[in-house]
Amino acid sequence: MDYAIETFSLTKIFSDWWGRDKVIAVDDLNLQIRYNEVFGLLGPNGSGKTTTLKLLLGLLYPTKGRSVILGGDGADPKINARIGFLPEESYLYRYLNARETLDFYGRIFGLPAKVRKMRIESLLDMVGLKAVANRPVGTFSKGMARRIGLAQALINDPDLLILDEPTTGLDPIGTRQIKDLILKLAERGKTILLCSHLLADVEDVCDRIAILYGGRIQAEGKVKDLLLQTDKKQIITSGLSDTAVNRIRQILRDEHAQCEVTSPLDKLETFFIKTVATAQEQAQPTSGAVSTTQIGDFLAAASSKDNILDKLVSATVSKETPMEAPKTRQVIPTEVPEREPDKDLLSKLTKTVEPAQPKPVIQNEKVKTEPVEPKTFEKEHVKKNILDRLTGRFTERDKHREQAEEDKSQTGDAGDA
Amino acid sequence: MRSIWAVATNTIRQALRLKIAAAFIILLLILLPVMGVSVTGDGTLKGRLQTFISYGLSLTSILLCLLTIVVSAYSLTSDIKQRQIYTVITKPIRRFQFLLGKLLGVALLDIALLFLFSIIIYGIAVFMPRFYNATVTELTEVNNEFYTARADLAPPDIDVSKEVEEVYNKLKKAGQLPETMSYNEIIKQLTSVTKLERRAVAPGYILPMLFTGIKPIDPNESLFIRFKYDVAVTPTDSQIIGRWQVGDYRQIRYGEKSDTPIYDATYKHSVRTIHEIEVPASVVPADGRLCVAFTNPPINNTVVFFPIEDGLEVLYKADTFTGNFVRAVLLICFRLVFLASLGILAASFLSFPVAILFCLVIFFTATFSNFVIESFNFLGRNLSSVYSYTVKPVIQLLPQFDKFNPTKFLIPARLLSWILVAKAAAFMVCIKSLLLLLIALLIFSFKEIAKIIV
Repeated sequence: MDYAIETFSLTKIFSDWWGRDKVIAVDDLNLQIRYNEVFGLLGPNGSGKTTTLKLLLGLLYPTKGRSVILGGDGADPKINARIGFLPEESYLYRYLNARETLDFYGRIFGLPAKVRKMRIESLLDMVGLKAVANRPVGTFSKGMARRIGLAQALINDPDLLILDEPTTGLDPIGTRQIKDLILKLAERGKTILLCSHLLADVEDVCDRIAILYGGRIQAEGKVKDLLLQTDKKQIITSGLSDTAVNRIRQILRDEHAQCEVTSPLDKLETFFIKTVATAQEQAQPTSGAVSTTQIGDFLAAASSKDNILDKLVSATVSKETPMEAPKTRQVIPTEVPEREPDKDLLSKLTKTVEPAQPKPVIQNEKVKTEPVEPKTFEKEHVKKNILDRLTGRFTERDKHREQAEEDKSQTGDAGDA
Repeated sequence: MRSIWAVATNTIRQALRLKIAAAFIILLLILLPVMGVSVTGDGTLKGRLQTFISYGLSLTSILLCLLTIVVSAYSLTSDIKQRQIYTVITKPIRRFQFLLGKLLGVALLDIALLFLFSIIIYGIAVFMPRFYNATVTELTEVNNEFYTARADLAPPDIDVSKEVEEVYNKLKKAGQLPETMSYNEIIKQLTSVTKLERRAVAPGYILPMLFTGIKPIDPNESLFIRFKYDVAVTPTDSQIIGRWQVGDYRQIRYGEKSDTPIYDATYKHSVRTIHEIEVPASVVPADGRLCVAFTNPPINNTVVFFPIEDGLEVLYKADTFTGNFVRAVLLICFRLVFLASLGILAASFLSFPVAILFCLVIFFTATFSNFVIESFNFLGRNLSSVYSYTVKPVIQLLPQFDKFNPTKFLIPARLLSWILVAKAAAFMVCIKSLLLLLIALLIFSFKEIAKIIV
């Protein structure tokens, strides 16, 4: 099987001036990232995440082992042409303005002036910096710099996107937008390697994760597999009368199971976005108004993002097809069955930021409870037949245990919409 | 190529927008015109012009050299230190392309600035006579001795080694050799004495000297005999009368009839100062073999001789001032290219302040390269083999800015030949800069970009 990124006992030891080994940053790392996968590299500070990325990209040379990236070497310009990289901080030329910055990177890729111009405009739109495109990036806030950094990583419409802590310094809305963007890009067949210690971000977007500690992989696998609490069940419904609750309690008591009934809490992120959206609707005059309009711009761009990305993709298809054709053919048959359910779920999730229908967004968010408070169900043991008796209509679900979570969110959607 | 160009333009932007170049540019833009107005030299128009061109070009050269060092070193080290290089080098650009882009950017910036300032200097130099209401004599003087490019020819070097050998042997037999001097030193001294004897004229005698390969660009222009008298006994009024004949060698020496006229004049000149006699260029025969004959009339009553260094030269107009100026600017340009490569090399393995220091040391050593080379030669003569295989090659690698100093040619309006320019190009650009660049490429290609060295 072909991997987008594969490392073979990759090791990096930093030595001091006398050549004595000081720090083992990456230790015998074997990483396999499939094509069209959103892979999260997690770990506490100093666990070797960034070093791994630098080794992959040829910014550092491994002490031992090697890595294969898109079937080649990470320092090879041909491979580089298909990679987008966002370093841990957006290291930009302070004296260039946003548009010039993107133009500079576009020219390094050797993009023709027309393509460059088109991509720059749509990227500026997408990251919401069109209004400040002529300001030197040295005057940008950290979040704005982050956005321009992300834009430069996308200028070549990369097949593989390597993002080192993409959401640091961004406000919650920006974070959300980046996460949505990652999902959208994944839908479009990009491979994304994400490096972060912000667990919420990783959890929302990643298909698979690996947790690094001391330069070694401590855990690796699908997010759902790793997080699934197989012995617990969660019921999410809309309005339920007290009698119904009592009856459920009765049934559960008969089953000798303990339960707790609460109203699910909103995610703070959702609440924040909701609040800002309300303020925006009322057009409250604040000094923060600048940022809210920016969000508006960006959200608008987000809905047209499809077109932009389509344009981006179509612009390079003819150029890159001959090189990629054999690979994609190999990948598709193996990946499709895995991706299918995800896509539905992701599109459902991403729909939430559609600005055209702000109200459904909020309602959806309210219901989308997912693993909101796992603690509330800690001592609850729900057997499957009870669930069936309760809901009646989900008999076929027995056959698809794996889809349980996804269906849950679907029922949630249906229930409240 | 596109990526090289992208890096180059970005480097130029960096230099301009971060105002690294601003101080230098403003300083020059103010200083050059001020200098044009304020220089006086020795009070004459020629003096003003010479002072202006000397100070103007030297100042431009030194400021641009410093600018080059700063920009080339800063551009690369800041990219590494501020880590913009992470996002650039992970794009499809090879490391050598990145370095070449930096070099190209610095070189282009240099060339543009050099062009701008040399135009200003040229303009001021050419229009200066108009500002000063110069007299006709002064104008003729500057036309002949400043706004021109004169080739200079010294009389052919005579081989005196045989005579020297004889004298040496004679002295040795007589046991009169000084004991404190080495063989080489004795020979050296004898040679210079013998050579000087050949350039001495007793009263009543004539000294004909042959100059070959003289090719003035225009027969209507003038030749100049540039000379300095030295005498055995100084006359009471310190003046020497001399008869000068200039023309076809065969006619003066052997009395054969020639097509070209013979210049014949007698002058009175003071001793131990440089004088020039103007001779119409039409006296030069077609084969370029010119004879300059000096007759020492008996009335002088002393032996007259012409010092070896600058005793006698023939100057003739071989090119225009403009041509000479362009070549002078080219010499500065080569200097800048060398320094740009040096800056890039230093930045490829040093941090900014150290790189600057490194470059400045090389720059100043190169400016006084003659002195440095001679000092080392002097110190190294006792450990010849060790010296010639270790320090000497390294010293030879230094560029010789003083050897290719353009003002040395522009002030006395001497022809700066294309051959010299080509030599400078070959040594400074083709060999030394390329070598530096190759080393820089090697270092940079194998360097771990993201490695933090503490």
